[in-house]
Amino acid sequence: MKILVLNSGSSSVKYQVIETDLERMEEDRDLALAVGQVEKIGLSDSRLTLSVPGRPNYQDYREVLEHRAAIDWALRALVDPEHGVLAAVTDIEAVGHRVVHGGEEFASSVLMTPDVVAKIEACSVLAPLHNPANLRGYHAAFAALPKVPHVAVFDTAFHQTMPGHAYLYGIPFQLYTKHQIRRYGFHGTSHRYVSYRGCQALGWSRDDRRVITVHLGNGCSIAAIDHGRSIDTSMGFTPLEGLLMGTRSGDMDPAIIPWLMAMEELTLHQVNTMLNKHSGLYGISGVSSDMREVLKARARGERRADVAFRIFCYRVKKYVGAYAAAMGGVDAVFMTGGIGENSPDVREHSLNGLEFMGLELDAARNAATAGKEGEISTDGSRVKALVVPTNEEKTIARDVARVLGGVMPTFTPPESFA
Amino acid sequence: MMGRSIATKVAQAGLNVSLKELSQEALESTRKELEKSLDHEIARFGLTSSEKKAILSRIRLVTTFDAIGDADLAIETVQEDPALKRQILRELDRRLASDHPIVINTSTLSITELAADASRPERILGMHFLYPVTTTRVVEVVRGQLTSDEVFDHAIQFGRLLGKVPIKVFEMPGFVTTRVALPLVNEAMHVVMEGVAQAAEVDLALKLGYDFRVGPLEWADRTGLDRILNWMQHLHVETGEPRFRPCPLLRRLVRAGLLGAKTGRGFFTYDANRRRTDRLPDDQPGLG
Repeated sequence: MKILVLNSGSSSVKYQVIETDLERMEEDRDLALAVGQVEKIGLSDSRLTLSVPGRPNYQDYREVLEHRAAIDWALRALVDPEHGVLAAVTDIEAVGHRVVHGGEEFASSVLMTPDVVAKIEACSVLAPLHNPANLRGYHAAFAALPKVPHVAVFDTAFHQTMPGHAYLYGIPFQLYTKHQIRRYGFHGTSHRYVSYRGCQALGWSRDDRRVITVHLGNGCSIAAIDHGRSIDTSMGFTPLEGLLMGTRSGDMDPAIIPWLMAMEELTLHQVNTMLNKHSGLYGISGVSSDMREVLKARARGERRADVAFRIFCYRVKKYVGAYAAAMGGVDAVFMTGGIGENSPDVREHSLNGLEFMGLELDAARNAATAGKEGEISTDGSRVKALVVPTNEEKTIARDVARVLGGVMPTFTPPESFA
Repeated sequence: MMGRSIATKVAQAGLNVSLKELSQEALESTRKELEKSLDHEIARFGLTSSEKKAILSRIRLVTTFDAIGDADLAIETVQEDPALKRQILRELDRRLASDHPIVINTSTLSITELAADASRPERILGMHFLYPVTTTRVVEVVRGQLTSDEVFDHAIQFGRLLGKVPIKVFEMPGFVTTRVALPLVNEAMHVVMEGVAQAAEVDLALKLGYDFRVGPLEWADRTGLDRILNWMQHLHVETGEPRFRPCPLLRRLVRAGLLGAKTGRGFFTYDANRRRTDRLPDDQPGLG
């Protein structure tokens, strides 16, 4: 079946048409027919791009003031006789929506009924920048395609299997019951797909193994997946916690925040943007939030770029060790995301020196693997290391097929205190 | 200063804005000041350099009214001089499409009076932006006697679009913020003049006692004592209420040219970057 996958942000909508069903996914024959996005929604020079395998990329500009118009535009492009891939909009049999936050309400992907939409709305307080935009995309798509099923796939759902000792913070318990302050974790769709695909590539079943998935992109997170269940992940209540990222700080002493607010007389807004937009690789290197630029600067001998790189890799290594300990061992480490898939340097510095726990990196294999799947550990390595390109859109499309086919696995949270 | 600050906020909200200056020279200085204030906010982590670039790309600096033809809304931000404001309004009224709102930015003047000779006074209303416009969360939206409901609602929406909380007010001298704040500031000045307490301690008492972020006298210094005097005189004349009579100490400071932060001295002293140089030890930032 042809599935439209939508990832709606506040000013952009990314879309894909993916052909998949239960049979195809079993054989890994899912097909991306078209990939595109509408950017700068709300402005007079909004841009639509559409790329179809085997054809030159198409783009167009016009004024698009809201999501409804953006999705109508994307649909028109998809059925355009010259540039499109569909004969008619009715060829789309279902729509999958990426939703950032499902709170404690959603532990797997679900059909979007009015009740589900209301619950997603209620989760907006936890993701005020993302959930409302995701829902605007849903309402717009529903208006255009009211007759087909819409399915929500949550970034947080996969991590709902974490036990209480991993998801609760050491702060007064009533803050959890009153404000739902706890670790949720993000990138769940990616961690789920990569852990599945990595095990599949090794000829394993995910349900028999302990793996660590390392997603290093503009945002970075790492997850401990014990016999198919996420038992811990580095992002927390928000995507700020954990690893160092492009512009986000990751872990730090929370006491720094009130101290800085007092001493520098920073406002809430300023301290928020300081942590989310001025920190990470960018804040330390002073060069860029892009690892490729940081690596170039490091090669030129810039010390701050070098230390930014080292902090980045050191944190990955620390978490790998911690999660191996948390699971009582590990069978494989899977690297993904723009940096994880493409930077042998980062992988080498993050995973070297782990021979003590059975992980031996193969320098030649690591250097030769970029942007594609492949093993980067030695043949004799007890713990396998692989590069596994992530594919969140494919996972969303597959979940749509699973939900509609009634075979969506549910992840039952092990314990709830709510 | 006010025009620049409003233009920045409008551009920050993702809208295109033309900022009209009187001369090429003023325009150049505005361009520099725009850069400077955005750089300052970057240094305070409130903004990133790519956001700065995006903001500047949406602000068009012009010296003529030609740009106004296709604007959705116009805001005048000249000083609180009724004759000057009326002159600008006439230009805007003539050039802006007839159903588009014209906003007067004022803290004390009468919208109704300024709009009186416009061709369509129902499209004129007031918006009192408080400085610095980029960070202050409130805007007073002021309905003149003839302002239409449609235009008023439009302005409320515009305020929301800028990320502000609009406070709806009917026209009365000083609206809400200025009318309530000025007597407080004036009273603080009386306290100093009568020798009850020193200026620094008056401010500190209110900061620590009532959680004021800035004491009233420092606020007056930063606003400009000449502007404060001007507002008070206006309110005094308009209402005839003795509570708006400017404190004699305020008059004396203004006559002496001690206008506050911009001249380096008012109730307190300031360096070239407008930082206070005479804070009491108890008035330093800290965890408290």
